[in-house]
Amino acid sequence: MHSSIRPNSHIALRLPSGILKILEITPNTSINIGKFGVFPANSLLGRPFYFTYEVLDNDDDKSKSELRIVSASELHAETLGEHPTPTESRDDVNEAGVEFDIVGEDGEVIMRSNRLTIDDPSRQTLSMEEIEELKKAGTGSGKEIIAKIMASHMAIDEKTSFSLAKYTLRKSRKYLKRFTVLPVDVGLLTEHFTEKEAYRIMELRQEHIGLIGSWSNAHCANSSRVLFGEDGASQIGGGRWLVVDDTGGLVVAALAERMDILYQNEDDDDDKESQEEDVAPQTDNAVETPQERGHEKLEGVVAAPEPANQPNGMAETEATASNDTPAASTTSDQPQRPRRPPHQHIPQSTSRTNSITILHANNQPNLSILKYFSFDASNPVPNHPLYHHLRTLSWLQLMSPHDDPTYQEPEKLEDDALAAMKSSKRGNYYKKRRRWERTNMIVDETRQGGFDGLVVCSVMGPASILKECVPLVRGGGRVVVYSPNVEPLIELCDLYSKERRAAYVSRQTDPAAKVNGKAQTGIKIEGQEAYDALPEDDEEDFPVNPTSLLAPSLQTSRARQWQVLPGRTHPMMTSKGGAEGYLFTATRVLPIEGKVEARGSFFRGKKRKTAPDAAVQA
Amino acid sequence: MASGENQNEDFTSPTPSIFFDPGTHSASGRLGILQLKRDHLIPTILSSATESEYAEGDVVNTRFGSFPHTTLIGQPWGTQILASVVDTGSRASTSKKRKRDADDDGEGAHKPKLEPKKREVVQAATASSGFVHLVPPSPETWTLCLPHRTQVVYTPDYSYILERLRVRPGDHIIEAGAGSGSFTHAAVRAVFNGYASEKPLANGTQSGNRNYEEAITKKRSKRYGAVYSFEFHKPRAEQLAAEIKEHGLGDSVTITNRDVYEEGFCVGSQDDNRKAPDADAVFLDLPAPWLALKHLTRSPPSAAVVKAVTASSEAPSPSVKEDDPPAQALDSSKPFQSALNPNNAVRICTFSPCIEQVTKTVSAMRSLGWLEIDMVEIMSKRLEVRRERVGLQEEGLRGANASAATVKEAVQRLRDVEGRAKIFHGLQKEKQDEIMRKAEARKRGVKPQTPNGNDRETPKAIKDNIPPSKHDRLERAKKDLENRDLFKEGRLIHRTEPELKTHTSYLVFAVLPRQWSKDDEQKARKKWG
Repeated sequence: MHSSIRPNSHIALRLPSGILKILEITPNTSINIGKFGVFPANSLLGRPFYFTYEVLDNDDDKSKSELRIVSASELHAETLGEHPTPTESRDDVNEAGVEFDIVGEDGEVIMRSNRLTIDDPSRQTLSMEEIEELKKAGTGSGKEIIAKIMASHMAIDEKTSFSLAKYTLRKSRKYLKRFTVLPVDVGLLTEHFTEKEAYRIMELRQEHIGLIGSWSNAHCANSSRVLFGEDGASQIGGGRWLVVDDTGGLVVAALAERMDILYQNEDDDDDKESQEEDVAPQTDNAVETPQERGHEKLEGVVAAPEPANQPNGMAETEATASNDTPAASTTSDQPQRPRRPPHQHIPQSTSRTNSITILHANNQPNLSILKYFSFDASNPVPNHPLYHHLRTLSWLQLMSPHDDPTYQEPEKLEDDALAAMKSSKRGNYYKKRRRWERTNMIVDETRQGGFDGLVVCSVMGPASILKECVPLVRGGGRVVVYSPNVEPLIELCDLYSKERRAAYVSRQTDPAAKVNGKAQTGIKIEGQEAYDALPEDDEEDFPVNPTSLLAPSLQTSRARQWQVLPGRTHPMMTSKGGAEGYLFTATRVLPIEGKVEARGSFFRGKKRKTAPDAAVQA
Repeated sequence: MASGENQNEDFTSPTPSIFFDPGTHSASGRLGILQLKRDHLIPTILSSATESEYAEGDVVNTRFGSFPHTTLIGQPWGTQILASVVDTGSRASTSKKRKRDADDDGEGAHKPKLEPKKREVVQAATASSGFVHLVPPSPETWTLCLPHRTQVVYTPDYSYILERLRVRPGDHIIEAGAGSGSFTHAAVRAVFNGYASEKPLANGTQSGNRNYEEAITKKRSKRYGAVYSFEFHKPRAEQLAAEIKEHGLGDSVTITNRDVYEEGFCVGSQDDNRKAPDADAVFLDLPAPWLALKHLTRSPPSAAVVKAVTASSEAPSPSVKEDDPPAQALDSSKPFQSALNPNNAVRICTFSPCIEQVTKTVSAMRSLGWLEIDMVEIMSKRLEVRRERVGLQEEGLRGANASAATVKEAVQRLRDVEGRAKIFHGLQKEKQDEIMRKAEARKRGVKPQTPNGNDRETPKAIKDNIPPSKHDRLERAKKDLENRDLFKEGRLIHRTEPELKTHTSYLVFAVLPRQWSKDDEQKARKKWG
């Protein structure tokens, strides 16, 4: 993550109303935050995050407004409803508490209680038109308006101190020309989407993202070893996670963040360095605007982007005469690429460790949220870590690769035949070959399994996904399934219930059932084999192999927010409803063949009943 | 892919911690976790050593049987392990194996199952029942089975905390009040991004990637993730340090036994600035986090602020108005050294069970310029899923409710009962009548008639129509059970688990932006206009 605001990156502004506004900051443009004002983007560039700025309007030219950093003490004074110096706040805290006590006991300050409060909008003597006038005339930060509004409230001194603080706060939210700059990361995006379009991210909250990250055991595995199973071909572990993601890429982003493959190389730790580096590296700047040029290209292969498809980049170059490096390098970089000899192509998705493999139901994965991290799945760039560590394949490619045209090897041409080709055709030829090579590698490796974990966040039925994917997870690997609603996961838990497992085992070992106890033994898994071993009608009773997961559990978590103010600490009065969000977690295990007799008492003790893994009673 | 493997062999850097890369199989000398039940796990350092009290070498004894380490070593992770027949009885009376050999015969009564004893490790025989699963360690499994020394920060809390603190690979995090180390393990997983001693290029990556990785490493020296852990209680700190070392996490975790209220968070010598934690995130699980906050500033705090912050617990002292010079009380002899990363915003989380602690912490944070202060509590629960069977067919069976499932069933049962009663009374009456008749006949001096066939037939015909007795019903239920698939019968229900953690702690989050001086602003202005 970057410590200061970089050009052409996404940032978030939190407006006084609490709304988050995500935008891409482009040098030499102005940023409009509606009624809260307009200011030049350059006055934010290079500045650190988390400061709150006040827009100081410039009367002559709105786009030349200045920004002022609002100090922490000023902000806190406002939340506390006081006007202190930084060190004072604590004393005022106590005063406020005292006042509150007196209200109950002492008749003299009774006017501070709400007994005499009159609920009447006419008590505000300023009319709406007058306020509009003030707003138009208003220079400054909006403080004058608030002061005037307060002054014209007939009964301001009848308010209790708490209600006065509340009133002031409400007015500030409406009129203060302020915003806070926040970095765009997974947490912020979650918050943003939860507010606006929760359905797009399957109503994930930060609690869930945290739990998914922890239970999937996703972590940076760039120093993990490449190890193979007993067959010597299928990789076991190595920090590879299999993901089914219908949240537009939010879950992928969350996992990638934990695996250190989400953000591009951080290079601006101190100012001197960053100044040099911002000018020097072409590579870095070339990726700043991929999402602009990405739309037209769908083939997910890095090859020969036409220079024409980036109007934004061009516009930028013209605009940034003084600050030409970022945009200029973007444009100059593009036309060069086709001319490079083909062997310089950097193969995609080659990393054998620390990778995410996405299974998608459509032709292309939906990873639109990754654009906030400068990654465009349909047109990835080699200097983004995800270019190397992200693999995508469709369900068709997993289940039946030979039905997928991209899995068929394209015709291989001799060198002289190639030389005779037109360059555009030759480019096409290479593009096809590369796509085939990549698909082939991804499909084969995925089908060999050995993943460290499976993360499912999908609208598809979890059982159907787990049936295919659990065999691809290594022994001891983690399985995590998120669902906004509890019902699908309850059904899933039931498919892995202790009773069902017992029935499954006894059917498997029962010689009468013509099954020869063909449990999955090795690490090498061939998809359905285990299921084929069971008679047909068992498919219905055992859509998944209930012995392959240990300790299936279902949990949910919710953060309850509190207001902490002196004498006024309590949970928030309202919060968002909607989906509760549930998580199914389990560990992939390798059951041994044949009948296994459990031992110990399984009837509930004082604590903890029905541990689902309490063993199989024959 | 033999080449890939070979590359591994001559890979000189340390083997990654078992928490990050457990390998394919369990191995001697490394940690393994035996999972008995969902929340019952036993951590064990697997050992192939022969010096043990048991003939089979080291053995893990559980309620599901005994598991000699020899049966656990070299197994693929996740394997189901069968219990072995181990003589646990004789060990109880003697501590040494050699002694036991001598005493062997006299101890027969103690030994339910006998196993031949030899000096070398005995190949254990598989027991007839009992098993566990062998799983690799992770912060989650470790949290469930670590030796408790203090209250443990559980997964729902630490996962949320690390998410909110935005702890990422390569970050430095301060943890104070390390306690039992569950958060430590989760934090080190979050910050880990490789070993400083390792070659820049990890194994197996192919050429294109190699160029890319090299480009990255060349660009600038990589910052490696680190956890700076502080613990006030010396034995706890030592035990945690031993565990961390055992788990191969020593490279990334620094444990210091210290009172952070007094001494702050800087480790290493004072002149060596590099040694400071240089933290991006802070987690305080302390009884009085506000007393530690004064050590988490970017510049020396003024004495007034320090006084205000630290005096929070005492009576209000109204006289801190003067513009004070930087606090000398802190440590006048040493130059100020910040424990925070100067180039990054620093995030903090404090973990306190009581609301009073929160109030004090928040007001201290406000005085010290922390922003985005937010307090939440995490309410998490686990659900249990099961099938609830209700119905008359469940009569006499375990784990089900044998009441009528529907009105129809209830009515039918009532009818049955009534029907039986009616027939019973009918029969009674008949019997009575017969007795009466017999008595009458006797009185009249007639020889009592032997009951003819007709008399017998009537009750038999009725008997076929008699609703089943309770005994019959139980018999039938038992018989039916053999053909029922209980695992898919009944209604699927879910409910909160019986033991509920209704409150763990309040979490206070805040952010301290980097310092932004006039010079910095000038520079930025010059660059961007």
